[in-house]
Amino acid sequence: MIEERKRERFTVPIGPQHPALKEPGHFQFTVEGEIVTEASVRLGYAHRGIEKAAEGRNWVQNLYLVERICGICSHIHATAFSLGVEQLAGVEAPPRAQAIRTLVAELERIHSHLLWLGVAAHEAGFDTLFMYSWRDRETVMDLLEELTGNRVNYSANLLGGVKFDISQAQMEAILQGLDFLETRTYHYLEVVNSDTLFLQRTRGVGVMTRSQAELLGAVGPTARASGVVRDVRVEAPYAGYIDFPVHPVVEKAGDLEARFVVRMKELLESYFLIRGILAHLPEGEINARLPRRIKPGEAIVRVEAPRGELLYFIKSNGSDTPERVKVRTPTICNMTSVIKLAVGHQLADIPMILAGIDPCFSCNDRSVLIRRSDSEQHWDWETLRQYGNRFYHANAK
Amino acid sequence: MDFETLVETTRLLIEEWAERIETLPPRRLDVYMRRGQDLVPAVAGLRVKRLGYLAGITGLDPGVESPDLEVLYHFCPGGAAILNLRIPVPKREPSLPSLSTIIPSAEPFERELSEMFGITMLGLRNPDHLYLPEEWDTSIFPLRKNIDPQSLAQRVAEGQRVAEGQRVAEGRRVAQGVKDEGA
Repeated sequence: MIEERKRERFTVPIGPQHPALKEPGHFQFTVEGEIVTEASVRLGYAHRGIEKAAEGRNWVQNLYLVERICGICSHIHATAFSLGVEQLAGVEAPPRAQAIRTLVAELERIHSHLLWLGVAAHEAGFDTLFMYSWRDRETVMDLLEELTGNRVNYSANLLGGVKFDISQAQMEAILQGLDFLETRTYHYLEVVNSDTLFLQRTRGVGVMTRSQAELLGAVGPTARASGVVRDVRVEAPYAGYIDFPVHPVVEKAGDLEARFVVRMKELLESYFLIRGILAHLPEGEINARLPRRIKPGEAIVRVEAPRGELLYFIKSNGSDTPERVKVRTPTICNMTSVIKLAVGHQLADIPMILAGIDPCFSCNDRSVLIRRSDSEQHWDWETLRQYGNRFYHANAK
Repeated sequence: MDFETLVETTRLLIEEWAERIETLPPRRLDVYMRRGQDLVPAVAGLRVKRLGYLAGITGLDPGVESPDLEVLYHFCPGGAAILNLRIPVPKREPSLPSLSTIIPSAEPFERELSEMFGITMLGLRNPDHLYLPEEWDTSIFPLRKNIDPQSLAQRVAEGQRVAEGQRVAEGRRVAQGVKDEGA
């Protein structure tokens, strides 16, 4: 009988094009009946060789490169890199610049959490919530565009400061947007806490206890939903968080519902923080001068991305290019927890559990080599640059 | 835990395996270990004393002429403090003991370190590639300094052309087979 049961084991490969998100990752789940007994992960499908590429570019070029690691949390990568380079050069960005950095970081967190709410709701088959949350997310996207000129890669940072100042009209637009988003967020908080059908998919599903979260090294909202107070903004405040402190949002349940609640409450915290920054924005310069060559040394920077702790290790050899840039993104920490958590769950819960950590595959897949669209048509940097110039020349208004 | 206690506890725990211990501003503690074999007992001690979680592993290649690689284990003991265990790994037969038995979250970091720098992780349950493709040339470790991105790009393009040629040939063979069957 036992022998027969053993033979019933079945491996279900999921991905690289997988059911939870529109990003590539390959998972293998061994199941007995409906229950997952083993899980493994294989990443790298969006691997672009950014860590190696960084070694061949100068400090300023790298600021643009790291901003493109992730399409959702682009600003936080550039902030971490700028803070590291400033630390190496012994230069500090002025307080107003730090406050603006923090403001953009919080707007980014709002857009990221709302995006996640939509994706996670979609995984649960709750497409109405998905549509509403993405509609509301447009509010913050418009604010970011108004502020920085871009919806995604805001490019707000400079080495030594920020690119733009905030006008009175922009401040008012932000405050107005926040008022709208706040009422919506309270509504969503009620929905995720009370909708019976939705709760069936979230309450008591994918439970990670506090000790598991600590052992598996979970970070960000995933860890905070399991009662682990792990928030770099609180533990080791950087940039504007020194002047504008954050209250960590922690839930104890550790299930999917708690992960929803933590993120929704973090939105409210972000609104509070942004209002504080706008009310007490320090006066003064918005950037400091940095030398072209950076003094030799090492910098380790930790910042809180929307998905959790992001760690940068930057080493300079005294030239105008870095010796090494290492990026450790939050998803890789949380991915371990997903893989371990999956065991013992129903296969049908996997998409939700996976979506629950808000995984970001582009963030993960950085380091090596250059991706080509096809082997026949190779474009180098110069060709691309020329193409860009030609394009804008031809389409000049 | 305040920084002074961290420095003192670490000193007591790791001193016998360390070459030197340095503190750096603002709150950074660098422990230069003598050899990789001592890593597991040292980290087990850190775990017992609850000196933070493993925040990441960084590999460094100091240069083509350097005989060693360097591996940094970053631990966050709470607050702004960072504890780094720095271990020299000889480029001839580079290997390190895996931490995945005592710290499960070390596994993906170790898989990345292993494929990017060619360091064998002893005792790692799943040593497969995490990021690099299955068909990757196992003699190339992309983040080592002797690897130049241009030559790497050429090799990959070459590999893709060969693979494409094989696919086309395979397609023709199948098409020919279908035609023959039809006849």
